[in-house]
Amino acid sequence: MGRLLENHSKQLLANSQVPVPRFLVAGSVQEAIEKAEALGGEVVLKALVPVGKRGKAGAIKFAANPPAAGEAAQQLLGTVVRHYPVERLLVEEKLAIDHELFVSIALDKPARAIAILASSAGGIDVEEMSAKYPERMKILRVDPFQGLADFQAKELWADLGLGGAALRQATDILVKLYKVFVQYDCTILEINPLAITKEAKVVAAAALMAVDDCAMYRHPELSEFVQLGSDRAWRPMTALEKQVVQVNEADPYRGTARYTEMDGGDIGFMCGGGGGSLMMFDTLLSYGGKPANYTEFGGNPPERKVFGLVKAILSKPGVKGFILSANISNNTQVDVVAAGVVGALRAQGIDPRRFPVLVRFSGVNDTAARTIFGEAGVEYYGEEISMSMAGKKMMEKMAKAYPGGHESQAAHGA
Amino acid sequence: MGILIDRNSKIVIQGITGREASMVAKHMLKYGTPILAGVTPGKKGEEVHGIPVYDTLKQACAQHELNTAIIYVPPAFVLDAVLETLANDIKLMVVITENIPQHDVMKLLRASDQAGARVIGPNTTGAINPKERVKLGAIGGDNVERCFVPGCVGVISRSGGMTSETSYMVKMAGLGVSTAVGIGGDSLIGSPPKDLLALFEKDPETKAVVTFSEPGTAFEEDTAQFVLDGGFTKPLISYVAGKFTENMPEGTIFGHAGAIIEGGKGRPSTKVKLLRQAGVHVVDRYDDIVTTLRGLNLGAA
Repeated sequence: MGRLLENHSKQLLANSQVPVPRFLVAGSVQEAIEKAEALGGEVVLKALVPVGKRGKAGAIKFAANPPAAGEAAQQLLGTVVRHYPVERLLVEEKLAIDHELFVSIALDKPARAIAILASSAGGIDVEEMSAKYPERMKILRVDPFQGLADFQAKELWADLGLGGAALRQATDILVKLYKVFVQYDCTILEINPLAITKEAKVVAAAALMAVDDCAMYRHPELSEFVQLGSDRAWRPMTALEKQVVQVNEADPYRGTARYTEMDGGDIGFMCGGGGGSLMMFDTLLSYGGKPANYTEFGGNPPERKVFGLVKAILSKPGVKGFILSANISNNTQVDVVAAGVVGALRAQGIDPRRFPVLVRFSGVNDTAARTIFGEAGVEYYGEEISMSMAGKKMMEKMAKAYPGGHESQAAHGA
Repeated sequence: MGILIDRNSKIVIQGITGREASMVAKHMLKYGTPILAGVTPGKKGEEVHGIPVYDTLKQACAQHELNTAIIYVPPAFVLDAVLETLANDIKLMVVITENIPQHDVMKLLRASDQAGARVIGPNTTGAINPKERVKLGAIGGDNVERCFVPGCVGVISRSGGMTSETSYMVKMAGLGVSTAVGIGGDSLIGSPPKDLLALFEKDPETKAVVTFSEPGTAFEEDTAQFVLDGGFTKPLISYVAGKFTENMPEGTIFGHAGAIIEGGKGRPSTKVKLLRQAGVHVVDRYDDIVTTLRGLNLGAA
């Protein structure tokens, strides 16, 4: 799921006539001062990073006037919030809030429904809310074929005690939020708080929105807001990760290649399939290995996709060995993978006789694969050894190649 | 016997003329799977390895008695293909396609539930019954016997590839498979493990089941509860992959889209603990599936 930055989500909400505070974006202290002036002086500054609970992380600050906004910007810019560097700030008008509500729309997977969670106790996080005020929360499950009727939205807020103009506005906003959720294939759309101002206006004061990567093909307008593959990293994507996304997208309908860079590590890790890769990663760790990356591939990728993937794996500094261990393939042509792997080893100037390389991968066309790997000097196994055994043998190879020790072995000894 | 599929399966493949689908159809036929028809809009009158192709499922149903559909169409068209399948009263579907928008999956599962139909997948390698020589999807490829021999062990896996590898482990234990099902790697799927365990419980040919699990979802937690409640009484062996993900920042996907720990939910350690408390044989190392199966003394394949 691609999480949008708040300026983007608020822009989308505003486009759908959901009231949001007036906001601008600042990339420097000077800009923050100027934008605060433009917004009338008293503002809120929020770090534009794609993570939740920014308030708790100290990434939201209030400023009574433009010079104070400059000071707040000084404190926020350049910090790192949950692995994301703060490069830009959302500067928005400070609302005079009378009361705070909460509303969140998400997919309720077991119920096969869209779930709306609403509360008359907003401004705090959901965990705290459900612990302190369970009676002030209501859940409405909506049949996605039926959609949300206006009266259901009205009932939800009325049951939570809303009345008068606030009830009418909150109802209208919830109906619009539901439409946004469906229109943009959201996986989450959370407004916390949904503020009732002293002027009795209901405003989406803070917005958290994520959209489904798989649905991006029908939302080209969101492509500049959402970084493909960002749900597979816990920090901004690295150059190598972006490189592999490009390799993958070059042949979007043929096979999958994924690469997540780990901190440190010295073994280039490549595994077939989501499940097998989880199992192999655990296995290598259990034998004291330190994989430098997490990679899975599958779906019968073309040679150039495998080549690009392996090249990326090998080009991370500090990689001193390479293991490809995969389950017996159902449809992936092992010989095609072999050609891609061997090509990448060659392109990186790696001699498998000195640099530990081990492959365990049988399946479609594996006789040809055995020949390709054999001619390249790669230690190759089919199903005569298990995937776990391949992990063990790889660690033995590492120990033999680096008798003085290597990162993996050191970790094991520690 | 076995579950879901057998010699009475009468199969139609939606999207049969696609590159992958036609290759898979060839392998399925070679194995002995009864595929009666295919559907691709605009391709009526063509044949794929001798299988007649129709423009609509309605046309195919007019010519053939069909009870099982394999959905092999691109992500954007899956929801419609499933609605078409339900409209033609076919109650078992295997949705192979990966990367379907989640809103569409939610709709297709809701519609299937309401129609009383069963969905395997999405994002699955399929299902196989080695004794009856029927397979739905790429599972086993063109060399099925390498991993799948007939026997008394059911296999349920969230990973397609590991469905085959786990069945190979069963073979290494000197046993074979009654039915193996890749349930799909997403968190939104039609048939979670406990639903299939309910079927394996009733299948006289199945004497034990092996499951391959991953982080994320509540499938294993639900399985543990199902076993505790007496819903499954045969020996159950489980391997839970991805223990390392607990030490990584939450909310990151590793492997399948469903393999994600969120809000403290879906931790492998919790799954292992609950499964063990329910009396499930949870193996720490994947290869231990072989020794544990041998220890059950289920007899020869």
